[in-house]
Amino acid sequence: MTARPGFDPASLVSGVIVIVLGLVLLLDQADVLDVRWDYMLPLLLAAAGGILLACGLTGPRRRG
Amino acid sequence: MPDEPDIPESPDTPPSPGGGDESRPAEPQPPRPRLTRSSTDSLIGGVAGGIGRHLNVDPLAIRITFVILSFAGGLGVLAYLACLVLLPSDDPDAEPLQWGLWRTLGAGLLAVAAIAILVPDWLWGPELGILLIAGVILYVLIRVVRDDGASHISGMAARIAIGIVLLAVSVGGFVAAAAGSALGGGIAVAGLVIACGVGLVGGAFRGGARWLIGPALLLSLPLAAVAATDLDLRGTWGDRTYTPTTVQELERGYDMGAGSMRVDLRDVDLPPGSTTLPLELGAGEIQVLVPPGVCVLTDARVRMGAVDDGRDEEGGVDLDITDPRVVAPGTRTVRLDVDLGLGAVRVGDRFRDSHGPGEWHLDDAGGPSPAAACAGTP
Repeated sequence: MTARPGFDPASLVSGVIVIVLGLVLLLDQADVLDVRWDYMLPLLLAAAGGILLACGLTGPRRRG
Repeated sequence: MPDEPDIPESPDTPPSPGGGDESRPAEPQPPRPRLTRSSTDSLIGGVAGGIGRHLNVDPLAIRITFVILSFAGGLGVLAYLACLVLLPSDDPDAEPLQWGLWRTLGAGLLAVAAIAILVPDWLWGPELGILLIAGVILYVLIRVVRDDGASHISGMAARIAIGIVLLAVSVGGFVAAAAGSALGGGIAVAGLVIACGVGLVGGAFRGGARWLIGPALLLSLPLAAVAATDLDLRGTWGDRTYTPTTVQELERGYDMGAGSMRVDLRDVDLPPGSTTLPLELGAGEIQVLVPPGVCVLTDARVRMGAVDDGRDEEGGVDLDITDPRVVAPGTRTVRLDVDLGLGAVRVGDRFRDSHGPGEWHLDDAGGPSPAAACAGTP
């Protein structure tokens, strides 16, 4: 897989994951959602796993 | 601590004799600059400039981080001062870093202040002696390493010191995010998480901004815990004992942020039938003392903790307990409507001093259970 110089796919994927996580937390704090442990723990594990996977698959950060 | 600044290698290396560019293998990455204070990119002491150069991060982001952390109990200021004390300058004309009495004293005071912010109740307890001994040992170790003159070891010691500072900053940020979320700032913390995500996405097209993953997780984890436990610490804190005397007072209920809530029902002249007692606590322990002859039914929502309603004990996360019993008409009954974020609920004929389900059995002997007053009900 080749990536454009200066483009870091891991940052992009991690950013999307963090945004989704932040939105869920925001909706919970705004009382739109009521996220309990049953859902929060898998969500956190999935977020951490996704970020680790993205960073691991793309390797060290590229510089353009 | 190295006395000599590390000047990054010049990229203008001479070409190999007779070799062309096309046959030369890819040049290795230049070594990362040593962690020093910058003499060229400096607003105050060159700390942010030096850290930014070392991590290859925009120093502005480092400066903003210091400013943000300054609102977390002054951690940013302390971290900056610690770096100012510990990091040497990259200026070759600057005097070598000399510890001396005042710099050593300053570093010690900064360490004590950082611990005082992180664990205020711990510092002035009997553990203060342990802290002082640990400080002396750490100081002696660093001096021994420095006197050996082994630059790589002293460099490692500096890295360890910086690591400790960063760890303290991280713990402080974690605690600040958790406290801020539990005290009503959850939306703001969630906004910061989203901002980190947007920064990551934007930074992906400019070489990457993976360093934002750390702050994002540092903010997300405590907020997630607060959200999952519905922890709301706004309200009264501390130990309170309520002794209602009228049914109206009882039915208004009690609401606390954190601490120990004790409700003594012995002075209430309960009428026949059911009386509801709403109890709400963010984190801590609720104890309800019930006089003989009164039936207690417990409805409880506990996000993380345990409930002992006089009949059974139940613990775990996301507890949603509804007492299924139907009491005979005319029985004096108190229906507890408990909303607890994190902690324990206990109902009994007296207050207990043991804390936590693991110790409840120690003082359970004697006294009729309030469940006995509900006898004869299904």
